[in-house]
Amino acid sequence: MNDISDAALVSVLQRQMTVAAARQVVAASNLANVDTPGFKSRELDFAATLDQSLAASLSTTHPGHLQAGGQAGPATQEVSDLPARRDGNTVQIDRELLSMTRAAGDFARAQTALAAKFRLVRYAISESR
Amino acid sequence: MPTLNAALDASASGLAAERMRIEVAVSNLANAESTRGADGRPYRRRDVVLASQPVESFDSALGRTGAVGVRVASIVEDQAPERRRYEPSHPDADKDGYVGLPNVDPAEEMVDMVSAARAYQANLTAISLIRDLIQRALELGRG
Amino acid sequence: MSVERLVGSVQTVPILPSTGRDPLGPSPAAGFAEPLGRLVGSVEATNQQANRAVAGMIDGTADVPDAMIALQRADLTLQLTVQVRNKLVQAYQEMMRMPV
Repeated sequence: MNDISDAALVSVLQRQMTVAAARQVVAASNLANVDTPGFKSRELDFAATLDQSLAASLSTTHPGHLQAGGQAGPATQEVSDLPARRDGNTVQIDRELLSMTRAAGDFARAQTALAAKFRLVRYAISESR
Repeated sequence: MPTLNAALDASASGLAAERMRIEVAVSNLANAESTRGADGRPYRRRDVVLASQPVESFDSALGRTGAVGVRVASIVEDQAPERRRYEPSHPDADKDGYVGLPNVDPAEEMVDMVSAARAYQANLTAISLIRDLIQRALELGRG
Repeated sequence: MSVERLVGSVQTVPILPSTGRDPLGPSPAAGFAEPLGRLVGSVEATNQQANRAVAGMIDGTADVPDAMIALQRADLTLQLTVQVRNKLVQAYQEMMRMPV
């Protein structure tokens, strides 16, 4: 197994946070529109979630690289296979809340690990003068 | 991330929309037996019509996907016919002894109210989670 | 990365050459090299372990507590190594001040 460089790990942690944050934005938008007639629940597009696979991220160290959509808005797509209610809306409250809880956890874990890394590096810098 | 604040706006708009649904449901319930309003006619049930509204932000201006909120497009009167009840002794009874009643089904209004309350709660949870996320992100920038 | 730079600085703590005439045998400073080298090695090792654990936490193959503990171990190992290095530098400087 190859070594994981600090730079590669930081990059992965950063992406984890970005994706988690984007998930929250999409879920919040869905929840705001749970009673909008005809509104279809949306999610991050497949490429965004696929990209999270670590093997891919660690072997090609692309710091801060995100898929189409750019910095702030990874592409979204309609969620398939959701039943529609009488008004055509497909948003389900429990589904969105679960997604938000998971994303919140993902973000918190990555942020804590990143903060610990920063502390370590900061200490190393101050002691190597 | 600017979109995070936009998400807060979206959730806030959700709160406002659901609150309006609750208020209208309460008004419908309160007037369920109102046989004569200001216009002399029985109360007509009202409905809130919602429409999605993208939150304006730096990202949306640049054409990137951002947060989507909701707005009250209009409040309309339900066009379903009024109920009629045979009650000749009622002051508003017509010549055949029937009274015109609002087309309000209390059970349906309760269901709407509960559903709106639940959606309201969900938007509150979303706001709390996103606020926490923003807080954590800021912490990273600190020493 | 700065952890590597620090590790590098630890490795350059000057070790006194042993003088052939020293009745005490090899210079005591030379004896520092081995344990110091081991400490430096464990800084790199615990750092890698932490990186692996965090990566595992992200893709779900490792537990969160394990990753946090690994991070702490890396942190403590680094701090310990730094302290040892500082003491060594101090000792070296004192030895240099001693009149021969």
